[in-house]
Amino acid sequence: MSALFVLDVPENEGVVRVAEQDAVLQVDKVGPYFRIALDDHDRPAPDPGEAVGAGHTSTAQQIVIDRRATGCRHAVWYSAVAGLQDARIVQHDKNALRLVHR
Amino acid sequence: MTTDPADRGVHEEHRVQGVDHAAFPTFDPAATVRFYRDTLKFPVVHSICAAGWGPAEHPDFIHFFFDIGNDDRIAFFYYFGHEPVGDPAARGDAWARLPEGTPEFFANSRHLAIHVDSEEDLLEYRRRLDDSAWPCEMQVMHETIESIYTHDPNGYMIEITRALRPVTPQEDLDAALTIDALCEVASGPEPSLDKLLTRKAELIVERAADWDAAQQAPSGTGAVPR
Repeated sequence: MSALFVLDVPENEGVVRVAEQDAVLQVDKVGPYFRIALDDHDRPAPDPGEAVGAGHTSTAQQIVIDRRATGCRHAVWYSAVAGLQDARIVQHDKNALRLVHR
Repeated sequence: MTTDPADRGVHEEHRVQGVDHAAFPTFDPAATVRFYRDTLKFPVVHSICAAGWGPAEHPDFIHFFFDIGNDDRIAFFYYFGHEPVGDPAARGDAWARLPEGTPEFFANSRHLAIHVDSEEDLLEYRRRLDDSAWPCEMQVMHETIESIYTHDPNGYMIEITRALRPVTPQEDLDAALTIDALCEVASGPEPSLDKLLTRKAELIVERAADWDAAQQAPSGTGAVPR
């Protein structure tokens, strides 16, 4: 399992909503945080792969949050991640936040 | 007035009452007064005219204060006969010129942010700056704050800011977890955001659920668990 934590505040709602709509991700609550998880255990840590453009969703190998789908602008987008659980950020730009298993 | 013992404890521990004054040197008191008193309309509330300060080599000086609201003050020192050092073309301010190659983000990291309550007030200060020799250099609306920025005549960066929503209790917890993770990671080898977020996830798992339960409980004090 790879996961990221996102604090439950109004600005992060778009990130959580995109994760909830992503069929391969699970979203649950740990205190006032959302845990956005990908069930990828038993997998070796993958190659970080290529940066993706806009409009991508997660796969069995990676968590992908599409920035435009979240509606987040600069400041919140780059400060939305509160924690990384067995996960590594391999892309965090204007298009996407992308994480793979650590 | 609260009677909750836990709240009383917090009050007895944390007794300070905001900024008395934040002080800066100036080599141009006339421009400093035009900026703070005449442009921003911050009242002059105090000044000290001092013939030296004990040691013989200490110059005569004027220490003067402007009210920045809430009875807080920004203060300046003007030292007669004391000249600036360093390259005036270098990045920096009246207090210090920074070495060549110092990035702008680092120079701007040290600044004073003054709070206003509303958009109307923020725009009023923007209007005053834009009518002056020190126009607003940048207006930024993040999702949670809106700020305007300029540099005063001494090169000090001044921000005026308003909050777009109140800070929530969970943000206090989040800040506490960040700071604990930061102190650990920054004290270890090769600090990085990746290491901080990995450690913070462990702290979230250890502490966030308990914090949530304490918030729900009627005796919850809002105190952040350590």
